[in-house]
Amino acid sequence: MLLILSLENKGYGMEEKTLLEIKDLEIQFEVDGDVIRAVNGVSISLKAGETLGLVGETGAGKTTTALAAMHLVPDPPGIIRNGTILLNGRDVMKLTSKELEKIRGKEISMIFQDPMTSLNPVFTVGQQIAESIRYHEGLNREEALKKAGEVLEMVGIPASRANEYPHQFSGGMRQRVVIAIALACSPQVLIADEPTTALDVTIQAQVLELMRELKDRQQMAMIMITHDLGIVAEICDKVAVMYAGRIIEEGTLEEVFNHTLHPYTEGLFNSLPDVRNRKAKLKPITGLMPDPANLPEGCAFAPRCSYATEACRKIQPPLIERRNGHFVACAAYEDPSFHIERKEKA
Amino acid sequence: MHRYIFKRILEIIPVILGVSFLIFCIMDLAPGDATSVLGAEGMTTEQLAALRHELGLDQPLLMRYLNYMRGMLHGNLGTSYISGRSVVECYFERLPNTMVLAFASIGVAILLSIPLGIYSAIHGGSIADNISMVGALLGLSIPNFWLGLLLILWLSLGLGLFPSGGMKGPASVVLPAITIGTELMASLTRTTRSSMLDVIRQDYLRTARAKGTPESKVIWVHALRNALIPIVTIIGTQLGHALGGSVLTETVFAWPGVGRLIIDSITSRDTPMVTGSIILTTITISIVLLLVDIIYAFIDPRIKAQYAGGRSK
Amino acid sequence: MTTERMNNEARVSVVKKYKKRSQMAEIWRRLRMNKGAMAGLVIVSVLVFIAVFADVILDYDTQVTGQNIMERLQWPSAKHWMGTDEMGRDLFARILYGTRISLSVGLVAVAVALLFGVTLGSVAGYFGGVVEDVIMRVTDIFASVPNILMGIVIVAALGANTLNLMIAIGVTSVPMFVRITRAAVLTVRNQEYVEAARAVGITEAKIIATHILPNCLSPIVVQTTLRVASAIISASSLSFLGLGVPVPSPEWGALLSAGRQYLRTNSYLTFFPGLAILVTVLALNMLGDGLRDALDPKLRK
Repeated sequence: MLLILSLENKGYGMEEKTLLEIKDLEIQFEVDGDVIRAVNGVSISLKAGETLGLVGETGAGKTTTALAAMHLVPDPPGIIRNGTILLNGRDVMKLTSKELEKIRGKEISMIFQDPMTSLNPVFTVGQQIAESIRYHEGLNREEALKKAGEVLEMVGIPASRANEYPHQFSGGMRQRVVIAIALACSPQVLIADEPTTALDVTIQAQVLELMRELKDRQQMAMIMITHDLGIVAEICDKVAVMYAGRIIEEGTLEEVFNHTLHPYTEGLFNSLPDVRNRKAKLKPITGLMPDPANLPEGCAFAPRCSYATEACRKIQPPLIERRNGHFVACAAYEDPSFHIERKEKA
Repeated sequence: MHRYIFKRILEIIPVILGVSFLIFCIMDLAPGDATSVLGAEGMTTEQLAALRHELGLDQPLLMRYLNYMRGMLHGNLGTSYISGRSVVECYFERLPNTMVLAFASIGVAILLSIPLGIYSAIHGGSIADNISMVGALLGLSIPNFWLGLLLILWLSLGLGLFPSGGMKGPASVVLPAITIGTELMASLTRTTRSSMLDVIRQDYLRTARAKGTPESKVIWVHALRNALIPIVTIIGTQLGHALGGSVLTETVFAWPGVGRLIIDSITSRDTPMVTGSIILTTITISIVLLLVDIIYAFIDPRIKAQYAGGRSK
Repeated sequence: MTTERMNNEARVSVVKKYKKRSQMAEIWRRLRMNKGAMAGLVIVSVLVFIAVFADVILDYDTQVTGQNIMERLQWPSAKHWMGTDEMGRDLFARILYGTRISLSVGLVAVAVALLFGVTLGSVAGYFGGVVEDVIMRVTDIFASVPNILMGIVIVAALGANTLNLMIAIGVTSVPMFVRITRAAVLTVRNQEYVEAARAVGITEAKIIATHILPNCLSPIVVQTTLRVASAIISASSLSFLGLGVPVPSPEWGALLSAGRQYLRTNSYLTFFPGLAILVTVLALNMLGDGLRDALDPKLRK
């Protein structure tokens, strides 16, 4: 009995533990008298070992959601209007600063987009990794530096370079250092906010491979924020597509890619150039994302949607399960015979 | 690193030469020459001419400058018309007093401005921030000799807390240090604030927070360490400012420093002393700035690597 | 995405709402929002008015320099708003007249420095090479002598009168203008429209005057305002040391110097002239700061 319980706690049980649970998150920014509705009712659930791809254009609210998970949304001007964020069962919004400082880097970690500016230029790489280790694992300076060296090796940088400064590393190497800092204390949840966008394609591949390896080894749950569907295909198990601060489609990788439901997601796939058909015209989605200070009443995508009806413009469609574990927020599916044009793959 | 230091030293030498030539030429424009002071009363024109020739004063400007420069290389900048003592000797006798004043002023300024600047940056836009910025502007705009006089009026003559002049004991440095320090403080607070504001927006602070660094350390270690770099440079220039601009404060407080020496020499038309003192002051300031540059190279790893030939990508 | 970028993007969508304004109107609007700068502007305007109409408001011989031993050393009263000095002259009148002296010395000195500095700076920035090196070296030499000392040297050598005072202050102001102009020219000169102008065959001088300089205006304007402020302080400092304007002139620094011996007994003689300097310089500094913020909002905060 005890054995089964302890195995379950380690995640080997039938039900894997939900590490991160975000429910109905609403975040607004108050800037110069305007209210910018950045996140409008987002719910995300993440289990150990899962990788969720959070997809969307710039400004869709992905980064804000992720920062909220660590209570790092700057306040002012950002205000969390509603929602709970449970990390390992504790509500992040209700923790004191001291408690937050304990969990950041230890239970949940984040990697940011631009490696060139994410590292402090006046401290060595080793010192920056070791700092995290000292806080969370109580080692003294020497021991922490030593462990920092090991973490560096883990991300493919020789430990002897721990005494060098960030400017002595290239972009790809710096991002590895950032990853090292984030993973130094073996966090349970890792949020990666477009970690490869600022890197060359070849380096991108290396970094992704590294992340996949580390994720598998440490059984980490990961949220991969990106606008690049190719990366999602490489590394994610689940996909959530965000638009104007809402999740408009959500499901497993296979479901979303091969049985796409939402017109916006369809548009995203259509806008990818087809390497086999060079002569085909590019098909971007017409129009722009709505101004988050001025969101329309009904479905936010309706102005750009080729299937939109009057009803779409009036009422917000809720996120409803239409296929197995596959949710979509689109009023068109009220009609069971409706389907988008993109061909389904069997 | 040594190469960098050497290079910088080489760079200030032409500046020093240039300054000495410049000052020498300007002072030469003054009417009359040494003979009007050294020549005895009632000397005939021939005697004056002979004296002039003997002192080498009838040579063209360039020759006289070269002689002067030759003397400079040997540490000799002439002798005072008034006291007959070596200019260099008199100057270095007074320099420590001015140094004391300059360091005391900078000390006061640093102690007050850096915390104030940091506080202002963190609470940007608040009432405290606005007040300190207006205060800084006030400090920059107030004529320091007036401030000195007011301080004497209120704190010395009025409350009798500090002596009104001279250099006697530690209490006498307080008022002059506050006088010079106020202006330095104004500038330093503004610089600290803007430097901190720049740093506070940086991404690496967010990285620090994301790994669980306590907020106090984020500000006082991660941010400040970066913000300090430009601040150190400013402290250096302010120190130079304090050294050069002490003229007024030393006059108001009868402080026996280099500034007073210059003023007294001008009033008594002691040309070699004036020329020599100003050149020496400029040299001192250049050296201080050089030291600041070197310190700057040490505290910013990016610069240090550049000059130490470290591996850089 | 950085949080700053997030905020900025949010702001951009808000700002898109505002209609496009002309540049000047936009600058003026930003300046208006800065209360300190506006206060400074008002005060400076008043001072300029006083300076220009000083002769009309006051009669120089009787009120400013006329001695009246009977009324000497009186504390401020209804008759003499700021009291009288040791010669019985009304301090308020003297200070008012001093406005003209301070402002004219400051403006002339800075105007001349502006002329020299901007010319040298643009030549240096535009032509580069040896010319630039020489100009910047010489500028560095002049700049390494502290302002006060340079002023002292020049006045000591040439004699203490108003003209030499202006020269002295002008000389100390030139290096800053040279540096700023050169920096501004360097950023502008590589732009494409300069290439275009050159291709069409416009002379170098004309290119500098019509294309490059207008774009360097903002730092120069800011610097001018701030320099006038520091020129006024320099002028009063030198006068305080006895190295400025000749004696009966009611220059503020000279007034302070004269009042010094009566510090214990007639402190108002020290208080008011200094206050005049403070107000003037503060107003100019606030205006200059405000201009800097209004002309380049990126430098803000």
